Amino acid sequence: MARSSNCRTYPLIDYFSIVLTHGLIMVAVWRLLFRAELDDEKAVQAEPDRPWLKNRESGTGDA
Amino acid sequence: MRDLVLLGFIGAILLMGLKRPFLWVLLYIYVDIVSPQLIGWGLIRSLHLSLVVFVAAFAGYVLLDSKEGSRFTLRQGLIVALLAWCGYTTLGAVFQEFAWQKWDWVWKGMFFAAFLPLTLRTRLRLEAAVLVFVLSIGANAINGGMKTVFGGGGYGSFTMLVDQDSGLYEGSIMSTAAIATIPLVLFLARRGTIFKPHWTVWIFSVALIFACLLIPIGANARTGLVCIAVLGVLMLRQVRHRFLFAGLAGIAMIASVPFLPSEYVERMQTITGFRTDESASTRIEVWKWTYNYALENPAGGGFDAYRGNSFTYDLPAITGEGSNRQITYSEVTDEARAYHSSYFEVLGEQGWLGLFLWLALQGLGLWQMERIRWREKAHRSDRDAFMHDLATALQHAQIIFLVGALFVGIAFQSFVFILIAMQCAVWSQWKLAREGSDPSPAATKIASIQQPAAT
Repeated sequence: MARSSNCRTYPLIDYFSIVLTHGLIMVAVWRLLFRAELDDEKAVQAEPDRPWLKNRESGTGDA
Repeated sequence: MRDLVLLGFIGAILLMGLKRPFLWVLLYIYVDIVSPQLIGWGLIRSLHLSLVVFVAAFAGYVLLDSKEGSRFTLRQGLIVALLAWCGYTTLGAVFQEFAWQKWDWVWKGMFFAAFLPLTLRTRLRLEAAVLVFVLSIGANAINGGMKTVFGGGGYGSFTMLVDQDSGLYEGSIMSTAAIATIPLVLFLARRGTIFKPHWTVWIFSVALIFACLLIPIGANARTGLVCIAVLGVLMLRQVRHRFLFAGLAGIAMIASVPFLPSEYVERMQTITGFRTDESASTRIEVWKWTYNYALENPAGGGFDAYRGNSFTYDLPAITGEGSNRQITYSEVTDEARAYHSSYFEVLGEQGWLGLFLWLALQGLGLWQMERIRWREKAHRSDRDAFMHDLATALQHAQIIFLVGALFVGIAFQSFVFILIAMQCAVWSQWKLAREGSDPSPAATKIASIQQPAAT
């Protein structure tokens, strides 16, 4: 693996790591916005994430 | 462009926080770890981001959030006591200017750690805090890991998201933090509900773990290698097929050696030859100096007291090979050498009381997490697998930190205090769920004493 001291700036890697992780944090925060249990432990989710998969999800159990 | 992305990101979460103020707490965790003001170039650098987000997080909790389930635990009390003691030693610090500079960031981290558990009062909040913590460390780890692959590493020349040699942007510190994060990544991949277990989540998790493992290689940090070894041992507690795991880990390690940069392999070989290594010799001399300094100054010398050290010692050097091998000693004088150990950092700066408080804070965390692990272990029918796995991940992260801390001065880094705060919240929630909101044993005893007296 070649190493040289002059190739220390990698703007593409910087952008990639920023966009990937910040994008994921943003998706997580967006999902949290609609989760009632965030503020109240006893709250039941009003709507399942994917209503059309409700029956299938309840049958699968713990992953 | 970077500024726009970062400011847009922060602005969007600040807005979303109007609906859920807890999101501001998550935003502070992100700002504290990533320091976006250092990543950007222009406007973002001139903003007091950390202060603005902290005020939002604090005011959001105090004014807008419910306090149901919030508890102030013993360890939060220890954090406050340690903070007060640090404030006292800073007032009388030997190097006033440097001490106040360090105090400036230390108090924020500790204050936030005492506050954070109050806000983490539901499971989902705990998970969210762990997730933001992991992704924030991940921003730097993915960056550093990729740069290592493309040859941007090297001892003292490894640059991650920010070209800075302090905090989480310093190689040895980031190596320890990155390896300590791995148990939390595994926890999220298995038990996450925000990003549920799915093959895409596993691919990301494995890639992130790989990036974390690359940080010590990129930074040429020997501490990181020790942390990886500790992680391997800790994993044996968790995995079902221990011998298979140990065998595969061994094969992976041997197979990876040809791909490692020679500079890294050479540096790692110096772990066993510490007697002829100046960096290692200096550490031992600094530790001796610190111990003697603490005997003379039991209350410590305040932050950055190491600046007063100076010592001369003989550094052995081996020349020649085979029967011509000779050991020559050269006199080396060192001044103002950093502690290179968190334990001695606390001892030298905060004295014996500070060390006691810091060790109590750490030790109590290990015990509390072990207590949860024991109660929720696999064969119990009413076990809480989420709490068991989270307590395990946080305990393992802390053990990796405590071993890495033997060789790096990271006692007051805020990522450690965030880990501690998450442990406090886990303990508090677990106690509440298992024991309910009954009065403490002490309160019951007082009540029973008062009752006969009243009758």
